[in-house]
Amino acid sequence: MLSLLKISDALSAFVVAIGRLASWLFVPLAAIIMIDVVWRVWVGSNPALTSSWFHRNIGSTKLQEMEWHLHAALFLLAIGFTYLKDGHVRVEIVRERMRPRLRAWIELLGCLLFVLTYCYILLDFGIDFAQRSYRTNEISNAMTGLSERWIIKSMLPLCFVLLALSAISVALRHLVYLFGPPELRRRSGQFVEVDHLAEMKQETEEEIAAYQAALRKNETGRAKGP
Amino acid sequence: MTFLEILPLLMFGTLALFIFTGYPVAFVLGGVGLGFALFGDLIGEFRYMQFFSLPLRIYGGTMENMVLVAIPMFIFMGTMLEKSRVAEDLLYTLQILTRRLPGGLALSVTIMGTILAATTGIIGASVVLMTLMALPVMIQRGYSIPLATGTIAASGTLGILIPPSIMLVIMADLLSISVGDLFVGAVIPGFMLSGFYLLYILGIGLVRPAAAPPLPADVGPDSHGELAILVIRSFIPPVLLIVFVLGSIFGGFATPTEAAGVGAVGATLLALANGRLTYRTLREVCVRSAVTGGMLFGIFIGATCFSFVFKSLHGDRTIIDLVQSIGLGPWGVLIALMALVFVLGFFFDWIEITLIVLPVFAPIVALLDFGAHIPVRTDVLYWFAILLAVNLQTSFLTPPFGFALFYMKGVAPPEVRIQDIYRGIVPFVLLQLIGLGLVMAFPELTLWLPRVLLN
Repeated sequence: MLSLLKISDALSAFVVAIGRLASWLFVPLAAIIMIDVVWRVWVGSNPALTSSWFHRNIGSTKLQEMEWHLHAALFLLAIGFTYLKDGHVRVEIVRERMRPRLRAWIELLGCLLFVLTYCYILLDFGIDFAQRSYRTNEISNAMTGLSERWIIKSMLPLCFVLLALSAISVALRHLVYLFGPPELRRRSGQFVEVDHLAEMKQETEEEIAAYQAALRKNETGRAKGP
Repeated sequence: MTFLEILPLLMFGTLALFIFTGYPVAFVLGGVGLGFALFGDLIGEFRYMQFFSLPLRIYGGTMENMVLVAIPMFIFMGTMLEKSRVAEDLLYTLQILTRRLPGGLALSVTIMGTILAATTGIIGASVVLMTLMALPVMIQRGYSIPLATGTIAASGTLGILIPPSIMLVIMADLLSISVGDLFVGAVIPGFMLSGFYLLYILGIGLVRPAAAPPLPADVGPDSHGELAILVIRSFIPPVLLIVFVLGSIFGGFATPTEAAGVGAVGATLLALANGRLTYRTLREVCVRSAVTGGMLFGIFIGATCFSFVFKSLHGDRTIIDLVQSIGLGPWGVLIALMALVFVLGFFFDWIEITLIVLPVFAPIVALLDFGAHIPVRTDVLYWFAILLAVNLQTSFLTPPFGFALFYMKGVAPPEVRIQDIYRGIVPFVLLQLIGLGLVMAFPELTLWLPRVLLN
């Protein structure tokens, strides 16, 4: 049982590491949009720039295609990660009143029946989808767009590989919770023993307390001043 | 009706059943959708090879879609504003600015809700934030608890309606209308509702001063100079940022996606200027925004699978036939849809509702003809989207289930009883219904501003 939990942890660590890395894509995404907008305004005011290297070789089309590439990569790499962070929306109204064991059963069956079927079908067709793009050397429809479409298209099957790994990790965890020894229950029950609302409350309260502490420090600082 | 006609309806039944188990909606959507496809394969109504076009749908609908790039950027902007504690600053300043007015604190909460409608607009999260931030202060100052909770719940849900709103981006995408026009169309209804709240609170403050006592005069800075500095430091920057983002869309200088990107950079610069941008904050904002985005697009992809199978099983025709056989006429259909969405709003956040309901009903809505009430047929969709938004917000507030009330009760201090919350929300629900009725009766409230501004 302990080894199952260790496998679960390892899978989880892998998906989380990729998710954390992918979350940094927000920075280039925002930066590229900014560059695109600023550049367009600048070129508008200074037509001589249309003959510059940047305009001829990068230009707005490539930047904008890069924007949706980054956006798509970002959310596709984040979906499995979000599951492990328990960030996917649940309808709490009935779940709230369930016993943890029942919740664990639902989680286990959900992973096996829903997520893994879902992943299987989308991988079956998604891998083919990306391969086709690679074989035909697919490029953008726009004359000045990006080439190598297979890169972004292979993010789709990758998303479902990561999601399948997270589902396996979650399923193993609940297997241990349901059938394992009681001493492992605390380590395996973070999905079913957690009250989401209470967690949210605690986090927000901590932030507000930190803010108020900063404010008070500021005020006493001012009172001591001249 | 034959079994094959019932099959798509059965899909909805099964979906509802499994959603209530509390398993993530995104996966239930995908699982139930594909499960029915496999079942259809067994009885010869669906061929496994038809899944061939599913990756294309996901790719074309969610990945290669410039409009949706606005969503992660607005999420990032909202999370950054929240993490850099702009909301707290804003509430503090507003509190001081309105301290002499009757009901000043409640007014501040409403104004903050209106301005920071920009924050991500996930109802659960924004109600929790507003409740924890404002409710203890209001109770401590001797506010009547129903007034305090009503104000917070109503203002905290306003975010889905007032642009920039992620919900409006998604609605526009699903109805194939312009995000910019829809944003502009939401301005008058949104500010109208916020104005109703403000008038109501002012009225209560005048009639029953004990329910909304003013702050003691010694709160906040003493001199006008210090007050001015406070306003400049904490009030002007976020307001300017929002005005800038919306102004660039409304003025036609930028697409919503570009405005969102610039807003994200702006919010980051704001955090930097406040001295609150550390490496840790940036990392936290990125991770938290990624989780919100993953959640949203998880449902997006799940809903794509579900509606793909639903349409493959001819569910759209079943629905259209069903609606036509009842013979409701345009107003009947509109009211039936509104009622459906209203009931769904008791249990679900807008994300599930719009992403599940709109793809199915959009073809019907596009066929509706309101004759002289809305002369231009393409305007119907804009009007419909705004009605839907106001309707959803009302539904979140309506006892006994209201989604927002559930979250509020969950985090409110123990002395706040659920009866207080119910009692306090009633006047706001009435205001919402008046607003809904007005937008329904006078479509110009939505359609006029986009016409004069963007034409």
